[in-house]
Amino acid sequence: MRHMATRYGLWLLVLLLAVGFLLLGSGLDFDYVIPKRLTRLAAIGIAGVCIAYSSVIFQTIAGNRILTPAIMGYEAIYLLFQALLILLLGTQSLLLGRDGNVLLSVLLMLGYSWLIHRWLLRNGSHNVYLLLLLGLVLSMVMGTFTQFIQLKISPGEFSIFQGFNYASFNKAQPAQVIYSGVLVAAVCFIAQRTLPVLDVLALGRDQAISLGVDYPRSVRLQLALIAILVAVSTSLVGPTAFMGVFVANIAYALAGTTRHRVTLPLGCAIAIGIFIIAQYLVEQWLNYNTSVSILINLVCGVYLLALMIRTRGTA
Amino acid sequence: MISLQHVYKAYGAKHVLSDVSVQFPPGQVTSLIGPNGAGKSTLLMLIARLLTPTRGDVLMGGRNIADVPVRDYAKRVATLRQSPDFNLRLTVEELVAFGRFPYSRGALTAQDRVVIDEAIEFLSLQPLRLCYIDELSGGQRQMAFLAMTIAQQTDYLLLDEPLNNLDMKHAVHIMRALRRLCDEQGRTVILVVHDINFAANYSDHIVAMKGGAIHRHGPVDQVVTEANLRELFDLDFEILHSQQGFVCNYFNPSPSRELT
Repeated sequence: MRHMATRYGLWLLVLLLAVGFLLLGSGLDFDYVIPKRLTRLAAIGIAGVCIAYSSVIFQTIAGNRILTPAIMGYEAIYLLFQALLILLLGTQSLLLGRDGNVLLSVLLMLGYSWLIHRWLLRNGSHNVYLLLLLGLVLSMVMGTFTQFIQLKISPGEFSIFQGFNYASFNKAQPAQVIYSGVLVAAVCFIAQRTLPVLDVLALGRDQAISLGVDYPRSVRLQLALIAILVAVSTSLVGPTAFMGVFVANIAYALAGTTRHRVTLPLGCAIAIGIFIIAQYLVEQWLNYNTSVSILINLVCGVYLLALMIRTRGTA
Repeated sequence: MISLQHVYKAYGAKHVLSDVSVQFPPGQVTSLIGPNGAGKSTLLMLIARLLTPTRGDVLMGGRNIADVPVRDYAKRVATLRQSPDFNLRLTVEELVAFGRFPYSRGALTAQDRVVIDEAIEFLSLQPLRLCYIDELSGGQRQMAFLAMTIAQQTDYLLLDEPLNNLDMKHAVHIMRALRRLCDEQGRTVILVVHDINFAANYSDHIVAMKGGAIHRHGPVDQVVTEANLRELFDLDFEILHSQQGFVCNYFNPSPSRELT
């Protein structure tokens, strides 16, 4: 009962936060302020769902609670792509337009994910840990390339690149929000139907196969869904490395169960709630002097440290 | 009946199993015994389809198991490995319910609940029903996992070292439960056991393996002899018979005592 109350209470809280975010200090200006905020709110909702879903599913497959899909290098390749665009085309790269850029980024991240899966499957093994290791190494390599490019571009171009480096809800355009929303809704629809399979996958590879799950196929499907979600959220709001660990672990703690039917919606509520609060603080209190990303990384970083120290103590 | 025909398993250049052909009699408890690295677990994992043979076929009722869809296979064969480091927040009841996954794919029916209750009752786990798995002792946890495989209602049960790290009481509980599954419900049980005395006293059939090949196989009284065991384990054995069964003594069997 207590857990039920937490679940519904949390969504109510998120709803209140959303309404507050829309109306507080808006002067009820329905022509400019509120539509703008509505776009940001929608972006927050989509990004929240993406981050919660992708992190929880990824942790289930990896059997590890301090990983996020960021370790697979999705964000690294996004940043490398942005850096390359600026290096090769200069500030003209902005001529691609936001839509063109976003579309290319999403395709690139999906292609990247498809490639590393192909490479691993050709090897004949379905080892998730090998996949993680490969992702980690590739993301470091790409990170280094990105840094190198940063040295080659001019200060003006660098400041543009810096904009891609942090999560922000201010750059989301209504059109982009709409098609991101449709894509994420489709992914969630598919994921929703595989929730019982996810519960079994959490038992580990051997047990899952023994219970009749086509393990390689299920893992491939889930990794593909994760790739889409990460691609959408990264292109919409930028990299959010720590956030996923934070969201997933609070969700597990509050849910009192590891059933995905419970943890996934709870994770979404937590992610959206945190984003709304952070965005509100940045907009209304800090006057855009800092970014949402810095605020969230600060809180999530501290939580992650506490988590590591605590689990070490019990181990 | 499950049978292996000329099965090879190799990791790169290392051969774990070479030319293994063996049959497992249905409706009996079969123990796989042998020294470490003999390929017992590998053999079991091949039957469980957790590994695929490099060469050769594993047949179930004359059909190659690789041709059976995973879903259907889970209704015929249930596997229990050493229970892994478990950090999921699950109750015993929820864990046992996973045993019904091959049938209901996550949406439990009334029939499923009956089977779950029976499995829990079979192992007398009612007092632990609502306990969380990560709060149980090793023995209780192993019982809970066994209940899950029982709820899977398969003809075949495969167990990889189910007695590992258990005290004597829990080990005996598990072996008695397996015996009853075989005698009362006619299931075929195949398990890897390291304790020769458990294998000898609770099984019908023994498959002894050494160096990736079958060393001996047959009914217990034919395989478990002093000469066979000495050859298999490179240890001296003394087999003591009593009315309740027999004990294989390999700690200080009389021949070596005479030497000292």
